[in-house]
Amino acid sequence: MKNNHISDLIPAYLDGILDENTLKKVEEHLSQCPNCQKELEEMKTLFKAFDDDVPRVPTDRLRNKFEEALHAEKENLGKVVPLAPKKKSNWATNLLKVAASIALLVASFQMGSLFQQKKVDGDITALKDETLQMKQTAMLSLMENQSASKRIQGVNYIEEFEHPDEAIIQALANRLLHDENDNVRLTAFEALSKFSASDTVKSVFIKALGKEKNPSIQIGIIEMLVQIQEKKAIAPMKKLLEQEDTQPFIKEQIKAVLPKIT
Amino acid sequence: MEALSDEILMQKVAEGNLDVLKVLFDRHHKHVYNFLYKMSGDSMLSEDLTQDIFYKLIKYRSSYNNGSFVSWLFTIARNSLKSHFTRNHKYHDGLDVLEYKSDGDEGVEDYSQLQQALNQLDPEDRELIILNRFKEIRYEELAEIMGSTPGAMKTKVCRILKKLKKIYLESL
Repeated sequence: MKNNHISDLIPAYLDGILDENTLKKVEEHLSQCPNCQKELEEMKTLFKAFDDDVPRVPTDRLRNKFEEALHAEKENLGKVVPLAPKKKSNWATNLLKVAASIALLVASFQMGSLFQQKKVDGDITALKDETLQMKQTAMLSLMENQSASKRIQGVNYIEEFEHPDEAIIQALANRLLHDENDNVRLTAFEALSKFSASDTVKSVFIKALGKEKNPSIQIGIIEMLVQIQEKKAIAPMKKLLEQEDTQPFIKEQIKAVLPKIT
Repeated sequence: MEALSDEILMQKVAEGNLDVLKVLFDRHHKHVYNFLYKMSGDSMLSEDLTQDIFYKLIKYRSSYNNGSFVSWLFTIARNSLKSHFTRNHKYHDGLDVLEYKSDGDEGVEDYSQLQQALNQLDPEDRELIILNRFKEIRYEELAEIMGSTPGAMKTKVCRILKKLKKIYLESL
């Protein structure tokens, strides 16, 4: 170590970062080497200059600006980061989307109205049936009423029925054959005359011809029977001719129409 | 909080606890500022750059790689200084022939002489000495900043110190 100067170790020596072994050797050399002692002293002077150096102090502006920036960053951190905007789809796909939605709208509207229509139709049919049922009941009960005008009203309900059932026809026939009031019988006759094609109605007319005493109804029945060319009506007509209480003009009427039934 | 190491504190900052950065600012901003001031001789510029460096710390906190905090901090500081001079086309003009601007205050004579001696060093050498002496950055950290080995740093710093000592003693 004698001729091996330790000047390279002096900074580390002054910093006190040498390991124990090296430190011992350095101290040993220093005690014998004036050159290295000089070097050490000079380096000490330099190091003292570093130690004496007064660090500059930055102004408050620096701290203020830093805290400002930190605050701004913290606010940023709290903010909700918006998701990246969706990629723009081209107009064609947009158009298709619009078309599809319109088609869907129209289809659902159609379906809706179809179902609605079916339901309404069903409802209306049911209502109509119900109304007819009620009318029939009303008609039948009215025809049994004590008041003649109510019975006429009941008979007139026939106009509400396009295809009256057997019960109604039977009720009308009863009015024609058995009602004590002339007007009721006349109205019943008029009502029944619309259904003269029915066999039941024909037989009722023939039967009524034998029973009826009111001349205007008699004439009506005769004309009706002639019109429908009912051959079975010939016998009761001839019987009327022979009866004494038959009105003379009725007899003339029968005489006039009898030949028409062939 | 105050007893924790820089590395643990920076870890917390990286995890999003931004307030912890205040502690690191308190610990280090003067050193960063003085490093920049000794390198540039411009106090306003040094303040602006220090501000900028800590702002980068906020921005790039998540890129902190758990290494030595001081190395990381001064790596950013060196880059900021370098890019500032590159941007202003006065890196060479600015640092090579930088003359210490004496503010004329009494009691800063020694400081002034030391700084004048420092200014006669190459920028790279001056940088090493400023980092190593004033901030007492260990050779391991210095090696990390410079991308070298601690042994090579020790040798290099020793060589520059001898050079600086000569310049300094001559000026006395």
